[in-house]
Amino acid sequence: MDKENNNGKFEILSKTAREYYRSAIDEFGKERYNSAVVLFFKSVVALADLYVLKNIGETPSSHNDRFKITREKFPEVYNILDKDFPFYQDSYNILMSKELAEVIREDAEEIAGKVGIKL
Amino acid sequence: MQKKSQEKLELNYSDDVIDIVKFGSSVLEGNIPNDIDIAVIFKKITLKQQLEESQKIKKQLELFFDKPIHIKSYDLYSLFDKGNFARESILFYGKSLLSGNYFSESMGLISRVHIFYSLTKLKKKDKVRFNYLLNGKKGKYGLLRENQGRLLSPGLIEILPEHEKIFSDAMKEITSNFEIKKVFLSK
Repeated sequence: MDKENNNGKFEILSKTAREYYRSAIDEFGKERYNSAVVLFFKSVVALADLYVLKNIGETPSSHNDRFKITREKFPEVYNILDKDFPFYQDSYNILMSKELAEVIREDAEEIAGKVGIKL
Repeated sequence: MQKKSQEKLELNYSDDVIDIVKFGSSVLEGNIPNDIDIAVIFKKITLKQQLEESQKIKKQLELFFDKPIHIKSYDLYSLFDKGNFARESILFYGKSLLSGNYFSESMGLISRVHIFYSLTKLKKKDKVRFNYLLNGKKGKYGLLRENQGRLLSPGLIEILPEHEKIFSDAMKEITSNFEIKKVFLSK
């Protein structure tokens, strides 16, 4: 991908992925695991978009589009999104555990590794 | 598609899986579900391992169902946790996709719905309609025979959990004077 021609999307997504991840770490440290899960997942989503951008030069336009593209072309990323998304959906009415927050943090770190950015 | 879900499915899964249970609206006959809720019950392994195994199972289940699969992972602690809002639905209505039986049967319990009703305030013609509804007429089966339900005593019928909606919807057409109780019987 030509980073000069992505209208700054790479930088924006990198910044948001990092910001969500670091905010999640803060919440995790305060034992606010619901907030941590939501923020780690948002970081996962930004990183998934970065992965897509890096590989095909464009970003998904919606959640549906993101799932469709990753399912068809990047199953290693789709599997993480599909696994973690239900927890994001449930986070408003179910108590999230420390162990779950750790799992989603590891997922964010795994995709960051694939994309090649430091969180 | 609904029929398949009543059967045992041939699935590959690890020894850490205790059961794979269908629950939620897709279990209730007479419902048109938007999705299929599945609970995978694990022995005590890490959450990360549970989620990875559930994803593998989900991919297999997508071949059997034409609706989106919502899969949840539990060990016995999280299944019975008060914060698990799906607990009752899994325990009472859940059907094992591995055995084809109710999940509760693996714990030595039989789940059944008891419906208490009273016809005393109904007009005679509605009492007759109600009787036809349950028992049929002119050689046509009523709801009880069609759905393996039975009359336990006057004013009390016992039915399978998945038929609760069929019975309550039909009975509401005639009377609102009935009460539904969910019971566990010993095997």
